[in-house]
Amino acid sequence: MTAALAFRVAAYLLALDGLLALHLAGLLGVMGTALAAATIAVSWWQDRQRIPGLSRLRWAMTVLIAATSAVDLLYLAASLLDGFVRLLLVLLLYRLFTRRSLRDARDVGFLAFFMLVAASSVTFDITFLGIFLVFLVLGVWAFMLHHVLSEAERVGGPGALAVTNRGGLGPTLLGLALVASATTLAVTGVFFFIIPRVGQAALPLRAKLGAMVSGFSDRVELGAFGEIESDPSVVMRVRFPEGPALPEMLPNLRWRGIAFDHFDGRSWKALRPQRSTLTRGAGGQFELRRYRGVGPFVTQEIYLEPIGSDIVFAAPRLLAVGLSAASITVDDMDSVSVAIPSARLRYVAYSELEPGGRGGRNVEPPAPLDPDSRQRYLQLPPLPPRIEELARKVSVGSGGPYDTALRLTRFLAGTYHYTLALSRRTDLEPIEEFLFVRRSGNCEYFASALAVMLRSIGIAARLVNGFQRGEWNPYGRYLMIRERDAHSWVEAYIDGVGWMTLDPSPRVPRASTGVDRIGLYLDSLRLRWYRYVVNWSLRDQVTVAAALQRQTSTWRERLLAAHAAGDLSRLGPPAAALIGTLVVGFVLWRQRGVRATRPLARVPRFYERALRVLARRDLRPGQGETAREFLARVSAAAPACARPLSRVTAGYERARFGAMSLPAGDLAELESCVAQLERPPSR
Amino acid sequence: MFPSPGSWVRVVARLFRPRRTIRPTREGWWLLLAAVGLGFAAMNTGNNLLYLLVSMLLGLIVVSGLLSERSMRGLTIGLRTPDELFANRPALFSATLVNRKRWASSYSLTIEVVRPEGPPRLVYVPRLPPGQEHVFSWEETLSRRGRQRLPGIRITTLFPFGLFLKAGRALLESEVVVYPPVGAIPATLLADLGQGATAARRPGRGSDLYNLREYRWGDDPRLIHWRSTAKAGSPMVRELEAEATLDTRIVLEGAGAGARLEAGLSVAASLVIHLIRLGASVELAAPGAWVRLGAGRPHERRLLTALALYDPAPSRHMATPPRASGLPLREIRVQLA
Repeated sequence: MTAALAFRVAAYLLALDGLLALHLAGLLGVMGTALAAATIAVSWWQDRQRIPGLSRLRWAMTVLIAATSAVDLLYLAASLLDGFVRLLLVLLLYRLFTRRSLRDARDVGFLAFFMLVAASSVTFDITFLGIFLVFLVLGVWAFMLHHVLSEAERVGGPGALAVTNRGGLGPTLLGLALVASATTLAVTGVFFFIIPRVGQAALPLRAKLGAMVSGFSDRVELGAFGEIESDPSVVMRVRFPEGPALPEMLPNLRWRGIAFDHFDGRSWKALRPQRSTLTRGAGGQFELRRYRGVGPFVTQEIYLEPIGSDIVFAAPRLLAVGLSAASITVDDMDSVSVAIPSARLRYVAYSELEPGGRGGRNVEPPAPLDPDSRQRYLQLPPLPPRIEELARKVSVGSGGPYDTALRLTRFLAGTYHYTLALSRRTDLEPIEEFLFVRRSGNCEYFASALAVMLRSIGIAARLVNGFQRGEWNPYGRYLMIRERDAHSWVEAYIDGVGWMTLDPSPRVPRASTGVDRIGLYLDSLRLRWYRYVVNWSLRDQVTVAAALQRQTSTWRERLLAAHAAGDLSRLGPPAAALIGTLVVGFVLWRQRGVRATRPLARVPRFYERALRVLARRDLRPGQGETAREFLARVSAAAPACARPLSRVTAGYERARFGAMSLPAGDLAELESCVAQLERPPSR
Repeated sequence: MFPSPGSWVRVVARLFRPRRTIRPTREGWWLLLAAVGLGFAAMNTGNNLLYLLVSMLLGLIVVSGLLSERSMRGLTIGLRTPDELFANRPALFSATLVNRKRWASSYSLTIEVVRPEGPPRLVYVPRLPPGQEHVFSWEETLSRRGRQRLPGIRITTLFPFGLFLKAGRALLESEVVVYPPVGAIPATLLADLGQGATAARRPGRGSDLYNLREYRWGDDPRLIHWRSTAKAGSPMVRELEAEATLDTRIVLEGAGAGARLEAGLSVAASLVIHLIRLGASVELAAPGAWVRLGAGRPHERRLLTALALYDPAPSRHMATPPRASGLPLREIRVQLA
């Protein structure tokens, strides 16, 4: 492959990489991507065929594109980014179709780079890393090819021919490009981690909201989770940076999201949430309530995928939350939300877990509910009386509301079956059908039935949606929460106890997640991508700097202690290793010598001696005279020298132009020939 | 004796003078501009992926510097100038670029041969493996006689990405002496050449027999006198008489300037070459300059060098040449004014 063809291939691959970036960022749909890719392919063919007249329209096309893009950006595009992406695409295709010079192909690379820039503003997915790496390798290769081709074009001559005709540096350049890419990646990593994150997010990104996950809006239809309860997509990852030692053993873990107070028979709503805005506290976090010392205190570092909802998930009871936003919103049902999408991608939550097992008591201060709130949490739509009758029947003989709530929970969990097959069989109300006909359902039906039954007998209750604990990933030591872990449960208010969690769903643990070890490992890589790239912050930089400072101080103290004790010998090996490394580095840096096995093409010593001997007889090689011509002249002038000089000349040609070192035996023979030149036989 | 403060400053300045200069190309400026713009955007959005792209651009700049330095290090260049350089006559120069690194090849080197006039000549070397050399040559026509400083050779590279032009210092800024231009000898002078002075008998390369003597190693075998050899029993050779009538003193007259002076010196140089190549001895006498009588190529160079460096001053008088042999010489006068 010639360098020109390689450059063309690299430019087209860069264009496709940019296109893929736009697609993976959701800026270009499947059809749009396919269409653009096909057009790019056509441009490759067009480049071969050269449609006549196209290049004559260059100026007209430029004006047309400028005008269209201006109209698009100002009036048509949904956002500036959309208009920018369309402009990039048009420019890319225009460049590919009118490509005439190296510069045009180089511009394709630049446009592809700006496609990555556009994608970077709306995606945080790890696939961006793949696209980035491909771009890095291709970009470095294309840059190098562009450079050598431009130089060959500019300078011309035999060097240029070597590049353009024979492919010149083909495989060598590719290898070098790979090395340069690896080096660039390493340097990029260093820059990435040390560039201070001093800026503030003054310009909010149009971050991708993601597909709306059912069940986390202000109104949820019964059965909404049914759509996602078989979806293995990971929506949340939770690390426990400050312990406990075995976080996978923590009991009763749930990730509370949103609570609902109003039920209309078919759907739940957060009808009258009293929302308030909370600003950051003195500690840089949003303080919600105080730690009571009843349950274990757990710090959670949560990485949330874009799920199309502004809810902040955390283990109940949430004490404080730390995220990069100026304010958060809290409602009177303890749901927390934040409007900035990027702030939800990573946040830290501090919770005091509920003590005990399932349905463990919440130790919220037992302030009695005011009449309005009581009425709010007892609201019910018109329901068949047999639901209330069933509730009363189950709770007969119970020792109060707390006992009643537990009895109803156990009744549902023990009597009904958990299923994801939610097809309707009758025209009855969904809850009635669940309780008296189907007798099976998913967590929403269990939780709704419990809430309705509790309310029907005068116990205030609300429905809560969130996620259950998730799967432990041993490679990254975190919990993976998938869409199918979406869960509903009930919070009931018991006088003197407060809000207590009740979970009536008899969900059985899943037999197999279908994720093998490689899958778990890949997911742990994804977490690292979020942790160390997407969410790398000034705080992380300060932490690393402080750790380095501590380490340096430790070394310094050790050195001083060893010096004070007069025992520097134990520092010998590391010091020797350091000095050795420096010396080796210095030698490699110098590298001025020439390897003996690859002698320079210089005049051999024996021939220089022979020339000196002949010069004493006024026989010197003339300007431009070759060694053989000189031999002929010397042979004519001094026939006695002909034979030894002939052998010396042959040896010279072997050493000088044969790119080889002469064997010692040959050299000795040649030296004797030189000696014969000094004492030619008398005639 | 301590050096003056000024020389200290020069020494320090030389120590800190960068070995190479770096200048962004147009693509380099675009890249720098993109890095600054994206850096600004990254700071204002807090988007780490933008920081990643900015870091990549900065990484490219650093790697570009590292690889170009790697390419430029360990190179040596040697210049070969012709033994004789005549004004207005093309001369062939050659240079050898050697990569003295042990392992690393040098890539994409452009050798700029700076010219006294006009754009530099460019030689492109795509790759120079370790321990290998690249020989290149070029023709140069120097228009003025005298001592001239060759502008030198500069190695530049845009390797690896064409973003920055890294240029080494100009090397091989050597001095050469350019002889006056030579051409046809005017007819009047050719006529003068025919009127020789008294012949002086001495061995040389003429056609008349001067002597017979024993053969010595190195003598031309064609000069062996076979009849004498047979008589003497050992090889005898003919020794010829020099063309003594050609021995000449070239006298430069007048304190000319400009084109007239140069034309006169050109005539003198042409005469020198003509006579020396005929085997004559030539002496040069001019106001402020005298080159003794001599023959052969080394003497020719002495004469041509004197003509090349000749600088007439009106106040100077004709140098009075000493008479070593007392032999009469034919004189040819060349008018410089």
